[in-house]
Amino acid sequence: MTRRRFDLPDLLFGGFLVLVAGAALATTWHLSVGTAADMGPGYFPRVVAFALLAFGLFFLGRGAGRRFHGIETIHLRPLLAIPASVAVFAVLAASAGLALASLATIVVAGLASRETRALENLVFGVAISAGAVLLFAKLLSLPVPVWPW
Amino acid sequence: MEFFDHILLGFSTALQFKNLLFCLIGAVIGTAIGVLPGIGPIPTVALLLPLTFGLDPATSLIMLAGIFYGAQYGGSTTAILVNVPGETSSVVTCIDGHEMAKQGRAGPALATAAIASFFAGTVATVVIAVLSLPLAALALKFTAVEYFSLLVLGLFAAVILAHGSVMKSLAMVLLGLLLGLIGIDVSSGIARMSFNIPELADGIDFVPVAMGLFGLGEIIANLERPSQRTVVSQSIRDLIPTRADFRAAFPAMVRGTAIGSILGVLPGGGAALPPFSAYALEKKIARDPSRFGKGAIEGVAAPEAANNAGAQTSFIPMLTLGIPSNALMALMIGALMMQGIQPGPQIMTEQPALVWGVIASMWTGNLMLLVINLPLVGVWVSMLKIPYRLLFPAIVLFCCIGTYGIANSLFNVWLMLGCGVIGYFFIKVGVEPAPLLLGLVLGPQLEENFRRAMLLSGGDFSVFLQRPISAILLGVVAVLLLALLSPAVLRKRKEALAE
Amino acid sequence: MRFRALKGLAGPVAALLLSVTATLPTAAQEFTRPVRMVVPFAPGGTSDILARLIAPKLSEAIGVAVVVENKPGAAGNVGADAVAKAQPDGHTLLLMDVGSLATAPSLFPNLSYNVEKDLAPVSMVMFGPYVLAVNASVPATTVPEFIAYAKANPGKLAVANSGVGALNHITAVIIAKQLGISWKNVPYKGGAAASRAVVSGESTVIINGSTATLPFVSSKQLVGLAVTGDERIAAAPGLPTFKEAGLPAADAGTWQGLLTTGGTPPAVVARLNTEVRKILADPDIAKKIADQGGVVRAGSPDDFKGWLATNIKTWGAAIAEAGIKGE
Repeated sequence: MTRRRFDLPDLLFGGFLVLVAGAALATTWHLSVGTAADMGPGYFPRVVAFALLAFGLFFLGRGAGRRFHGIETIHLRPLLAIPASVAVFAVLAASAGLALASLATIVVAGLASRETRALENLVFGVAISAGAVLLFAKLLSLPVPVWPW
Repeated sequence: MEFFDHILLGFSTALQFKNLLFCLIGAVIGTAIGVLPGIGPIPTVALLLPLTFGLDPATSLIMLAGIFYGAQYGGSTTAILVNVPGETSSVVTCIDGHEMAKQGRAGPALATAAIASFFAGTVATVVIAVLSLPLAALALKFTAVEYFSLLVLGLFAAVILAHGSVMKSLAMVLLGLLLGLIGIDVSSGIARMSFNIPELADGIDFVPVAMGLFGLGEIIANLERPSQRTVVSQSIRDLIPTRADFRAAFPAMVRGTAIGSILGVLPGGGAALPPFSAYALEKKIARDPSRFGKGAIEGVAAPEAANNAGAQTSFIPMLTLGIPSNALMALMIGALMMQGIQPGPQIMTEQPALVWGVIASMWTGNLMLLVINLPLVGVWVSMLKIPYRLLFPAIVLFCCIGTYGIANSLFNVWLMLGCGVIGYFFIKVGVEPAPLLLGLVLGPQLEENFRRAMLLSGGDFSVFLQRPISAILLGVVAVLLLALLSPAVLRKRKEALAE
Repeated sequence: MRFRALKGLAGPVAALLLSVTATLPTAAQEFTRPVRMVVPFAPGGTSDILARLIAPKLSEAIGVAVVVENKPGAAGNVGADAVAKAQPDGHTLLLMDVGSLATAPSLFPNLSYNVEKDLAPVSMVMFGPYVLAVNASVPATTVPEFIAYAKANPGKLAVANSGVGALNHITAVIIAKQLGISWKNVPYKGGAAASRAVVSGESTVIINGSTATLPFVSSKQLVGLAVTGDERIAAAPGLPTFKEAGLPAADAGTWQGLLTTGGTPPAVVARLNTEVRKILADPDIAKKIADQGGVVRAGSPDDFKGWLATNIKTWGAAIAEAGIKGE
């Protein structure tokens, strides 16, 4: 531990809370607050958001005042590939059908790890996709298209 | 002895071959589907509800109950093995259960979960048989005022729950409360923070949030440190809990069962409060609370017992009053009505064979699940031998299909994606997602009951102290707060922070 | 846990089980592919139970599978919207509590579909009368006593309803307005929670379906006062109708109806109407509907259309007067 200042986790978390609380206040400001006997829809959100804001500022303040504390290095590869694979599923599921969406999801998710072997992942992906189609679309009859046509 | 007559009547129904068979089928199917990531007991029961339409009333209810317990067992398995909670209660099991799995102790964790559930199920069956009428009367004593105080207590319990800083868990509870407010306000019908997205009108679904924060976030973080993943120990001896495990787990089971039995009867919070409160209690009374969150076996035994006991006693309001205490019981009532049976306070006297048969089947069902699940522990654990590079894409895919499938909503998949990134962020800044999830589940009820209590009392805040049950609950909150702020605890907290 | 999580699951499985045997194509000219019967509420409710009663029989009659699909959300508007926006060929049906359909235009000014234009009524299915009941602590056993007590104690009674803008909320508002009573309207999440609250005494008055209310009247936890509808109900012959007792909103209750997408050719609507009326004429169905606390109300598409138009107006006016707002 060095003598540098700034506790990064505190600062980041505090900033996040301030952002969320700010957004909540902005979107609920127009709602009526009402009285204690007849509270409006805006009462609770405002109370909670202000409390959250206070916590956010507290963490920002504490983070700025404390000795340095970093965060683990961020690896972009999994951080991009996993959300991308979920996005691929969301985009393809309705249009291209469950079978292709599943395969694409597994292939893209595989990119997240350096250990992935392309061919193995593909073969495994086909097997899992087939299993998923059988299980969800056939046995459980989810209302999901299986093929694009 | 009326009690023995009832039990006898119950077992004579539950032990009929047909009922045993459908109980078994329900338990097996429930386990099989509940083990899929993201599909918890409620969607499982909804999914399989139509299977029971052709059966007679007792058999169909027995099968549904079997599906329900089965799905809970399955859900705990998923929570422990891959850290993907499919329902509120598994969130707590994830904390220490998955930690145990990471340390190569998935076997004992799974076995403890199964045994704790069975133990709680057995006790809860007796509780229902003996105490269902007084407990139902107690449930009716809970009006908005008492319920609000209970929820406050539950939320404070969540703060104790997290193993990080108190301040951070408080902030997370508030964050969860705020997220829980999204959607149409029950008391005014006005949509809040829903950004004109119709999918948000009914509030944020729990499942995508939980799967994103826990499952996806954890996967992203895991992939960053491939070397740290423990290879699962494979010898049979490591599958069963040791004597020391038992000694630690048993008292936790007993306490969890007691908490679950009482809280389960209460409407609404039924599913969320018991496991969270049981975990918090274990942590509070443990000699070394720092073990929690790092694979403490009590952290698996107590919430699993509480969850199962609560699940069972949540049948009490339905069986004695015909009032569903949660979404699941509403489904069960639907099943009864489908069978042409009017649920209501008369059901116990008019359909004794049905009611007591279902109660007795709870025990047979739990026994079956224990018998099915203990041998399966080895199978589940060997699934962890699949290399992680193959396992994680499959988990991601099942999370996607699960979230999409149960609500037929692509919006939920996007929501899960967003929560996955936020979950990763939380891991990076060192905060626990569990309190957030509790806030999310309890938030809407907290607001609803608070506003209703205020509306009914004409804005008089003192009602919370005038009603005895509420005053006692708030008293406990005050004691908890004092304990949290007392110097001794502050010192302990400092030690925890220093590490 | 939220009910929303149940969306979509139970329907297909049920349809698979119930109607797979009936999917062999016959000489049906209008129906060429599986028909979706959307229920915009969670499984297990009255609409859902009715859909599951009707779907297999309809499937037999029209020669294609009829799949029940639960699509809950936003007081039924999510499912109704899906049907409104489907292809107008009669292959997408909507079975729901049409009371919420009639109140939707007034409650939700930004409704994403037009109830009267984008949906085509097929037939009303059932009417379930409401029962007005009070907690046993309220010193009233008849409607006049009740009204006198309510007037003597303004603001004291609390009427539980199953949600802001729900028909039983609107009914309570209409009663209060017309009789000059002042009471609190307390919203709950659904009828079951409202019943529970009145049984426990948290609230004191309930206006709700007969199956949800009468059991507590028999167990003496609630006191029944009156029922809606044109005639007294068999399950509680001692209770006068609203009309007999001099209460307004006499036709409030659970109205369940079947609709399809607006713009569907009249011939297809007529075919559906014929088949559904045949199904509803079956005594077995009538008995199952009676189990749900209702009576069969089959009718022509035009009757249904007229019913919708009338109630959109009358209930809309009550909603506007009471200042109840949705979004």
